[in-house]
Amino acid sequence: MDNQHENHSVHSSSVGTTDQNAQYESNQDQRIPRWWKLIFVATIAFAPPYFFWHHCGAPGRTMADEYDVAMAANLKLQFGAIGDLTLDRANVVKYLYEDSWLKVGRAVFKANCVSCHGAEGGGLVGPNLCDDQYKNVKDIGDILKILQNGANGGAMPAWQNRLSANEIVLVSSYVASLRGSNPAIAKPGEGREIPAWPPAPIVTEEGDNTSGEDQEI
Amino acid sequence: MKADLLRRSVSWRETQTQNNEGMSRVESDINSENNASIDREVSTTDQANAIGTPAYHDLIVRQFVAATLFWGILATLAGLLIAHLLVIPKMTGGDALLSFGRLRPIHTNTAILAFLANGLFAAIYYSTQRLCKTRLWSVGLGQLHFWSWQLIIIAALLTLPLGITQGRDFSEMALPINLGILGTWVLFFAFNFFMTLRHRSVSRLYVSLWFYIVTIVTFPLLLAANSWVMPVDWVQSYPWVSGVHDSIMQWCYGHTAVMYLLLMPFLGLLYYIVPLIAGRPIHNHRLAITHFWALVLLLVWAGPHRLHYTAIPEWISSMGMLVGMMLLMPMWGGLVNGWKTLRGGVATFKTSVVYRFLLVALLFYGFSTVESFLLSIRSVNRLAHYSDWTIAHLHSGLMGWNAMLAIGMTYWLLPRICRTPLWSHRIAGLHFWVMLLGTLLTVIPLYVAGFTQSWMWNAMDELGNLVHPDFMESITSVKNMWWIRIIGGMLYLVGFLLLGLNLIMTWFSKSDSTANQATEDAHLHESVFRSEAGKLTPASNSLDNAPVLDTARTLDRLSGLQWHRCWEGSSRRFSAMAILALLLASVFQVVPAFVIRGNVPAIASVKPYTALELAGREIYLKEGCYNCHSQTVRPLVAETKRYGDYSRAGEFVFDFPSQFGHRRIGPDLAREGGKQASLWHWQHLENPTALVSGSIMPAYEHLLDTAIDFDKIGQRIEIARKLGVAYDLQLDAYVQDARDQAERVAADIVSSGGSIQRGDVMTLESQAVALIAYLQRLGVDLNAPVEQQEDEVSDGDSAEETVSQSGQPSELRNFEVAIVE
Repeated sequence: MDNQHENHSVHSSSVGTTDQNAQYESNQDQRIPRWWKLIFVATIAFAPPYFFWHHCGAPGRTMADEYDVAMAANLKLQFGAIGDLTLDRANVVKYLYEDSWLKVGRAVFKANCVSCHGAEGGGLVGPNLCDDQYKNVKDIGDILKILQNGANGGAMPAWQNRLSANEIVLVSSYVASLRGSNPAIAKPGEGREIPAWPPAPIVTEEGDNTSGEDQEI
Repeated sequence: MKADLLRRSVSWRETQTQNNEGMSRVESDINSENNASIDREVSTTDQANAIGTPAYHDLIVRQFVAATLFWGILATLAGLLIAHLLVIPKMTGGDALLSFGRLRPIHTNTAILAFLANGLFAAIYYSTQRLCKTRLWSVGLGQLHFWSWQLIIIAALLTLPLGITQGRDFSEMALPINLGILGTWVLFFAFNFFMTLRHRSVSRLYVSLWFYIVTIVTFPLLLAANSWVMPVDWVQSYPWVSGVHDSIMQWCYGHTAVMYLLLMPFLGLLYYIVPLIAGRPIHNHRLAITHFWALVLLLVWAGPHRLHYTAIPEWISSMGMLVGMMLLMPMWGGLVNGWKTLRGGVATFKTSVVYRFLLVALLFYGFSTVESFLLSIRSVNRLAHYSDWTIAHLHSGLMGWNAMLAIGMTYWLLPRICRTPLWSHRIAGLHFWVMLLGTLLTVIPLYVAGFTQSWMWNAMDELGNLVHPDFMESITSVKNMWWIRIIGGMLYLVGFLLLGLNLIMTWFSKSDSTANQATEDAHLHESVFRSEAGKLTPASNSLDNAPVLDTARTLDRLSGLQWHRCWEGSSRRFSAMAILALLLASVFQVVPAFVIRGNVPAIASVKPYTALELAGREIYLKEGCYNCHSQTVRPLVAETKRYGDYSRAGEFVFDFPSQFGHRRIGPDLAREGGKQASLWHWQHLENPTALVSGSIMPAYEHLLDTAIDFDKIGQRIEIARKLGVAYDLQLDAYVQDARDQAERVAADIVSSGGSIQRGDVMTLESQAVALIAYLQRLGVDLNAPVEQQEDEVSDGDSAEETVSQSGQPSELRNFEVAIVE
């Protein structure tokens, strides 16, 4: 049974030495625990050197510097193999046939485009990207231009300030690659039907990839 | 006095063996003098007089205890409702008054300012009288305090769903209500408290009172600093400072006030109730002194750690982090003292319900304080911030530490203020387990959800791409956790109802069986608070003959803290030191943030909002969008990849108030401008799930159905002028400009397939259009060309052009024109 013993009563008749008494007496003489003091002093002592170290002005220590370093490393990791791409049609065609790079385009698409074009590109507010009909695209290079500058008076936003050149090229390729896929939710086609995309480029002088093959990175 | 303690412990054992619920049957020297069965009130007074204690005023304690329970139930209900809204967004049928953004402030404000604050007042009114051995100075002021506090809460409950809000975190209530809090606190509460202290018949102030004093002095000052805003009318006000500066105000003053309320006075309560339960004085008085002063001096500096990685000046962020780390041991001082006093005292887990609550409260306190330490470290904070981790931290602190302590106190108080034994210990015991389970089931899923979100936002594959680029993935994957959390909340509510039952039954069962309670308590108080207890042993004289400098001897003596004895006799010193600490933090932390211009480097391309965008921003505030959407991209790779370039301080200079936000259960909106088509926004506001499957955003159809009040545009521009934004044209021009811009946005929507009219409201005059105009503006200025303003608005008419020209940063705000990169 739960006994609410905090209703202590004072009982004068029984007096005896108990453990609690001993403990109580020892409590009276306690100093501040050493570990407490040590940790407290350590957290205080840590502050000035850290503050100086972080804010003395040496490069690479501020958050902005850290970010620049991390971003550079990320870009190197991501695009080290292809360098800086130029925003031209040839690149869009080239990466259309390189599945490993389409994955990068897919990540960019998922982060920025799905709200209007649907998770699989079937179209929501924006047009269906999976069929053969296009509103503003006549040639594969047009995708690139629309991505840079927008279309339909801003209904399709311009992305040149938001995405890097590499990202724009790769997402263009990814959008082109959506053509012919069968999304679960598909909007009816808008615009005119246009001819198929150009085939994969033939072997270039330094590359040994043949048309349509995946490129190792 | 030691003998006293001994006797008590022994008598308690006897009680236990007799399995005796009340103490009534235990005869003792003292109560035998008073066992005449007369009217309760009189008998208690007589007993009190018998040992020289005054008749305490306990009506107010009863009132506050009842209010604590009432608001506790309400806060839990509100929490449950909004928790449901996260998993069933359409539960309230899209009602404007019952959307998540408007209801969440009700939950937070009732939980803190209604439930916990009322509990705190009960504790302070009860313990202060006993610790000072004097009756409350003014019963009338106490009643004023009680009723005006409840009125304030009711006012907040009525205004918040109507969208009457300041739109600032933890300071949502309209200015008059905030001032009401301030006035009630200072005039009715603080004044009465200090007058009671003044009339005390005990010379030294006990530790609890120190904590009460600094809270009572500091809380209103922090609140006042945060309420330093420009009133417009009865319900609206704007902060005088914008963007980064306002964020610093919000988190260094507003939020710290709340944190102060949840830490300091509760430690005071801990220091009061634990010795009484344990039946012995606090473990270590010297530690109490040290950690108390460390807390007073440091706590007010820690606010900025909640703004890590935002655009605030980095040195402030570092300061917040370092002070946050320093606070670990000062906070743990309370834990060490509470734990060591409680454990091995006369109470045990098996026999005392109050002991259980206190023990669990201490465990949660220890956990939460370590977590606070970790969260103030930048590299940990970057993972936790904006995720449910922060929410979990808050809930484990509030439900585990504050509420457990408050409810433990309630169970201890009930028999005393009702002067009858607790109705059912069995139900109280059940409440403990239900509440503990409820807390764990609320908190643990939130931690899991927080970790999941944080991991999904930050995960990168081996090629440096986001693994989960679609934000929705981080919502759908935590929904199960949100369901479990609801079960936890329901258990918590059941716990409250059990307490309610116990309270009502105890309240209405009249009995004189514990008529000797007051006497016993008086003796207990005497022994644990005023005897040798808490006496400092004399400083050691070990250095007397040692070959050291006199300075070392002096230091050694000082470190014995004997000098603190005389401090404990004066409440003025405590007040003065608390004010000094606040002043220091303000002068060295907040003021430099405002006066050093380099903190917010101006960006030439950032222009004031247009009139329509201002109207849209007001809707954003009113609907409480900041409860789910943040507006600041941190300089972290995973974040800029998802949202765009990171936010700069100069981008927020026209944000009155700042809308940095604290949680992302919707994506960040700092770079939302131009990201979606206006038609998308239109359809998304109408029915979010149609465009984003699994979206938890409420539908805002009422924004589509309500017209913009163009007459108010001029008023808004005038307010902005007063705040120092350069709007140099005639007011009519701005009204016209707003109409023109609305027309353009509507044309955009209609031309891409939107409807031209919805019900009676034309698209071009709906509030949604204003909100969309605002959303389309967010974050676009950073990359806007500086020189070619006129080209930008080529499709606009003359009014638009003039506005753009006049939008140049003017002398008024004195911005340095600097082009960022």
